[in-house]
Amino acid sequence: MGEATDQASERSGPGTDDAGAEPDARFTFANERTFLAWNRTALALVVAGLGIVQLLPPFPGVPWGRHLIGVPLIALGAVVAVAGYAEWILNQRALRRGQPLPRSLLPVILAVTITSIALLSAIVLLLSAIR
Amino acid sequence: MTSSNDPEDVDPVSSRARTKLAWTRAAIAFAALGVAVLKTNVAAGLTVIALTPLVWHIGRLSQGGPGGAGGKSRPRQLLLISVAVAAVAVTVLVLVILGHGRSSGFHPPRG
Repeated sequence: MGEATDQASERSGPGTDDAGAEPDARFTFANERTFLAWNRTALALVVAGLGIVQLLPPFPGVPWGRHLIGVPLIALGAVVAVAGYAEWILNQRALRRGQPLPRSLLPVILAVTITSIALLSAIVLLLSAIR
Repeated sequence: MTSSNDPEDVDPVSSRARTKLAWTRAAIAFAALGVAVLKTNVAAGLTVIALTPLVWHIGRLSQGGPGGAGGKSRPRQLLLISVAVAAVAVTVLVLVILGHGRSSGFHPPRG
């Protein structure tokens, strides 16, 4: 019993309030995999942004074009890494309390930002084609 | 949330194995980013590559065993991963904005 109490106090961090019970290990594993998937997405966004700035030749007539496309991608990577953790906490809390999982905001953030960057890329390409 | 057709219900062990593989992919992605950063800034790239074993080790702890949680939630270790990824993203952002390792781009050979 003492060991169980120790484990409970050890786990009482930001994501595991004392309310509810430890969820099924499979759900915890699934939540952890979702967290990891978001973090890999974040890493991929950073690599993509870095690649655009470092590997693309400069756009003729649009010297800031590469940074305009790459910097938001890298910033989005930082946001996704932090937001992924926040979502993991909310999901874990819902699992502990047996409540429905909260709706995720990350897909909307990701879709809106990537669409904006795609439109930005098209504008930069058009500008460099005109000049 | 559960379904009798769900493979996880038939074989709960696969959940653990898939999580282990997800951690391996995360560690590989981290190392790949380190190599990419290496091209921009050697010190930052080496630091990211040096952090990769930490990511892999935290993943190993998810499997249980000595010091491991084994399917229990572990907010501090996951926070460490998020902070590491966000810190690397901010570092790359600063390097890119300051123009470290500014390149004229990759020019394929013209034939």
